[in-house]
Amino acid sequence: MVAFQTQPETQTPIRGLARVISNQPDGNGFKLRLEVDDWPGSSPGQFLMLGAGAVTGAQRQDPLLPRPMAVYRDASIAASAAATSPSKSSIEVLYRVVGRGTTLISEIQPEQEISLVGPLGQGFAVEPGGAQALLVGGGTGIASLFELANALAASGRAVTVMLGARSEPDLIGLKDFETLNAEIVCMTEDGSRGAKGLVTVPLVERLADAAADTIVYACGPTPMMRAAAELAEAENIRCYVSLENPMACGFGVCLGCAAPRREGGFSLVCRQGPVFESSEIDWEGLP
Amino acid sequence: MSVRTNREGVDESVDLAGIRLRNPVLTASGTFGYGTEFAPFLDLEKIGGFVAKSLTLEPRFGNPPPRIAETPSGMLNAISIENVGVRAFLEEKLPALPEGVVVIASAFGTEPSAYAELAARVTEHPRVAGIEINASCPHVKSGGIEFGQDPNLLAELVRTVRSATQAPLLVKLSPNVTCIADMAKVCEAEGADGVSLINAVQAMEVDVETRRPVLSNVLGGLSGPAIRPIALRMVWQVAQAVRIPICGVGGISSAEDAIKFLLCGATAIQVGTANYLDPTAAGRIARGIAEYADRHGFERVADLTGALENAQGETMAKSGE
Repeated sequence: MVAFQTQPETQTPIRGLARVISNQPDGNGFKLRLEVDDWPGSSPGQFLMLGAGAVTGAQRQDPLLPRPMAVYRDASIAASAAATSPSKSSIEVLYRVVGRGTTLISEIQPEQEISLVGPLGQGFAVEPGGAQALLVGGGTGIASLFELANALAASGRAVTVMLGARSEPDLIGLKDFETLNAEIVCMTEDGSRGAKGLVTVPLVERLADAAADTIVYACGPTPMMRAAAELAEAENIRCYVSLENPMACGFGVCLGCAAPRREGGFSLVCRQGPVFESSEIDWEGLP
Repeated sequence: MSVRTNREGVDESVDLAGIRLRNPVLTASGTFGYGTEFAPFLDLEKIGGFVAKSLTLEPRFGNPPPRIAETPSGMLNAISIENVGVRAFLEEKLPALPEGVVVIASAFGTEPSAYAELAARVTEHPRVAGIEINASCPHVKSGGIEFGQDPNLLAELVRTVRSATQAPLLVKLSPNVTCIADMAKVCEAEGADGVSLINAVQAMEVDVETRRPVLSNVLGGLSGPAIRPIALRMVWQVAQAVRIPICGVGGISSAEDAIKFLLCGATAIQVGTANYLDPTAAGRIARGIAEYADRHGFERVADLTGALENAQGETMAKSGE
């Protein structure tokens, strides 16, 4: 099989302050919309480092580190397709409050500023041709898949997005996904939306009669990604995963985000990733 | 707040252990990669220079994850000197840097002869302005901190490296000792040209839900603003004890932080963990120091070194007595 490995173009990242346009609850999560000057544009699957709260007079020292967040929607992706290059761009981040940093981010008001470094990392390779793409998202991992689903649909693939969560309000961003030219399949652990069960259940069904050039893309909790990867690999279907290891910098210097490779050694999630072909990852060594 | 620009007339340059720096702001080893990672964010020729990631003779993989943890006003790391090795540093990393960038290499090893061989090889390269020996990595099982905690081993290490290179030689000291001034005196006696302090403070964090240590290595090094007052105290103590120049390191994230180290006796400073949160930090700090010098009537940034005064307006420093 010839693998078209079209690496997405990566733009030189910027460090700057973004203006908060809105920061609204979306189910059990939040959607943060930012306006960024001189945003170079991102490709599907890239991420940002966002300050843990609004910029105030004093430098924030606690919590100290910025938070890695997927670029959920990037208006410049559509804009560049229309051959314009706006100096200000609007990007969105989808997140859940899980600790002190995300609590502080959730308290940011419109017009406040937040520090940002990005776009960072190697996103998803959107390969030309091919019949079908199966996207599997869990929890906030859903956020990494929106622009990918959009780009795959635009490239002519039949796109199925399988979203899994504990309960309906945890399916953050669902309304946005429903606007895509894609089939959306929801799974919840309590059956409050879609069928009751794990998101891997519909994946098994789709893989059973999948064409050889089908590709699986997964982002979510590590056990979910591992399960998706193992199911795909068992059917000889290529699978890409987007990892979410903790990191301090996001651009390859703290070396905190190392993910063990199956062939030995480590890859940096921030620089070689966050998207990897699943066969590269040593799941046993990933915490 | 008004933005002040550096008026012509403030001389920002300093001489650190025989290395001429355009300003006193360096970046700390292990927080700045091999320099090129910062090119999108920072003009590397506008800072004093940088200390590259510690090198070993052969490439080295680090610890398994988790390698880092956030703690109050700081972070823990246990990376374990993951690096490309000396050959790739010389052949690939150094040539990728712009001409005007001052590069200080950092050496690590498990025995003095390895440090010495490494120091000799890297300082032969015309782009390497000096060498800092990492005698203080707090999370490697052998080497590093063993040297930094035993005055006899430290003396042997500095002596061995000194005999291998004539290049400016800095020794990075560990805070995990009873009396850091004694360690600095050992370095001075064995011919080091300067000391950098402090490296990370040995520390630990636990996840109570899993009842496990957070780091795979169990122990790590604490860095960031949490350690800044400890670092400042140690720089002050060392400044009273030795005549060789001091490079102050530990939790510096603003020009104000940096100036405190200069006043306590540091000739230059290194920005570390702050590079992660703000990759432009070092440039901002360098500008802020020059503005401060101008505002306070110092013609030379170098005159800030040791300018701490008591309540009577008398200088407090007693360098090298």
